[in-house]
Amino acid sequence: MARPRSFDVRQQTGFTFVAICCFVLLYLPIILLVVYSFNAGTSIAIWEGFSWQWYEAAWNNEKVQEATILSLIIASSASLVATSVAVMAALATTRTGKFKGSGLVFAMINQPLMIPEIVTAVALLLMFAMIKVSTGYTGIWYLIIAHSAFCIPFAYMPIRARLQGMDLNLEQAAADLYGQPWQVFRRVTLPQLWPGILSGAMLSFVVSLDDVVITEFVKSAGQDTLPTYMLGQLRRAITPEVNAISTALLAISIAMVVAFYLLSKSKEK
Amino acid sequence: MIEIAGLSKIFGVGASAFTALENINVTIRENEFFTLLGPSGCGKTTLLRSIAGFVNPSSGSLTVNGEDMLSKPPYARPVNTVFQNYALFPHMTVAENIGFGLEMLGRPKSEIKSVVADMLDLVQMAPMADRMTSQISGGQQQRVALARALAPKPKVLLLDEPLSALDFKLRKEMQIELKRLQSETGITFVFVTHDQEEALTMSDRIAVMKSGRILQIGGPKDIYDHPAERFVADFIGDTNFVSADLVTEANGIAQVRLPSGKTVEARSPAGGAQSGSVTIAVRPEHAVLSEPGALIDGRLKNIVYFGTDTHYHIESDGQPTFVVRRQNQPDAVEHHQVGDTVGISFNSGTAQVLRD
Ligand SMILES: Nc1ncnc2c1ncn2[C@@H]1O[C@H](COP(=O)(O)OP(=O)(O)OP(=O)(O)O)[C@@H](O)[C@H]1O
Ligand SMILES: [Mg+2]
Repeated sequence: MARPRSFDVRQQTGFTFVAICCFVLLYLPIILLVVYSFNAGTSIAIWEGFSWQWYEAAWNNEKVQEATILSLIIASSASLVATSVAVMAALATTRTGKFKGSGLVFAMINQPLMIPEIVTAVALLLMFAMIKVSTGYTGIWYLIIAHSAFCIPFAYMPIRARLQGMDLNLEQAAADLYGQPWQVFRRVTLPQLWPGILSGAMLSFVVSLDDVVITEFVKSAGQDTLPTYMLGQLRRAITPEVNAISTALLAISIAMVVAFYLLSKSKEK
Repeated sequence: MIEIAGLSKIFGVGASAFTALENINVTIRENEFFTLLGPSGCGKTTLLRSIAGFVNPSSGSLTVNGEDMLSKPPYARPVNTVFQNYALFPHMTVAENIGFGLEMLGRPKSEIKSVVADMLDLVQMAPMADRMTSQISGGQQQRVALARALAPKPKVLLLDEPLSALDFKLRKEMQIELKRLQSETGITFVFVTHDQEEALTMSDRIAVMKSGRILQIGGPKDIYDHPAERFVADFIGDTNFVSADLVTEANGIAQVRLPSGKTVEARSPAGGAQSGSVTIAVRPEHAVLSEPGALIDGRLKNIVYFGTDTHYHIESDGQPTFVVRRQNQPDAVEHHQVGDTVGISFNSGTAQVLRD
């Protein structure tokens, strides 16, 4: 531990101070949000004692119920679609010979990360408007398709990383032992790819659950996911109900991260 | 049964093109322990992977039992490989690894079970059948890799430096075990190594490679006693190189004149050396010390005692240091002293004329 270092960033003056400031900035607002979700009063700024009432209110609020169900449906569908597509895309970009334009393909898969979300949102709005006019369909599928699309790069990244880190010799050994390509994939590649697929799926799920901009533009009248519902609430009088919903979302995200961590730990053994 | 003709492999194109294999011609016989020997980067793995189907040769032909291999994907070739890093499936048990090939071939469960049991016995791994492959030692992994490749009873087994990761003692044990397996199963082994001693002790025939070419093919004794080229003589065992003049050359026998003016009979390589000044190779244990006035005279520079034998280093004008190796006898008295003028002689026919 006491290894001498030629350069230790901690010795720079002010480093510790800046680091602490960053952590405070990151976490203080979240801590406040969580604390005030238990406020007995109706203010999000004046503490009036502990109570579960805003959780109860949110739980019993039909609008919140509907929005939650819609959010979960969209997030699971989008995560499923995006992950499947990402697996195929990752296989195509890591398990084929170098082809002309493979760099371009890689960039195009990650395009949604680069293009400003608002641009994608407007573009989708315009395109879906055309489809709505010609078909009259105003259901949930617009949202599922849009969410799937912007989730793909998030699912793609961990899956591709996992594929690249894999020992190619294993797949060759399987082929050497008379495994046909699909058998090799099913018996050797896929079992080792699971951690990547799982993290891709969870990442997509969380990203979809959290999306506001694209959802706000694409959703039909009367449709609301949790984030757009909360946004709508903010335009009126804010109550700690919003805090309660946010805290619940936060809890779901943390639970998923912990679940994934434990899962990948147990796989390693 | 494996016939390779005119096989070449060029990696890359244009300015970065690299010839990894150049016009390889070799026939590997049924039931043979055939070794590819050569320094790092000479193309051994590339040749092995061409047979397995993971490298696509640029030109040439490759058949197994008369059947063209180059048009077949790896999974359709009757060959199995023991990979250099073993490549055991980490998510399967030892038994599942060994049964994988048969499973892919769609054999019935009962057959897979009995073959796996046989293989586990063969490599003495039965007590660990249900362990994961990360929970066994390097030597055990090596044996599992071997069993996995043998289980489908391939016609040819390819082994890429399978012993290089093992310590000395285990390595010796595995050499004997491999040899036993080969004679018991009757499978053709194509074995890659860069260890000359391993090649000499295990092989029926050896192909010595350098820079993508095969320089010489022959039995261990053949290669050791009669290296055709300087590189082969140098790579395998210790050798003295002596410059000499070619006097006559016919039917594989040459007369060469040494710098001392004496003439001695030597073997000439296939195709002949065909030039006036040549290099001849003499193994240290094929030469003996004698009185001055022998084939080569010189001054004794050094005497090095090795336990089993003694090395005498002799300097003579215009030649590199010549080493004579003498096996030690119990309680033998050393007659020679550093600084003595001594002669070196060797029997006619033991020296080898090299094709440079
Ligand atoms: N995919 C590739 N692309 C370009 N060059 C390659 C490729 N594979 C191998 N080579 C080159 O071909 C030559 C032969 O490689 P090969 O792996 O066959 O050597 P080797 O004899 O097995 O060596 P070692 O004993 O170190 O394993 C090397 O110079 C290597 O750099
Ligand atoms: Mg190699």
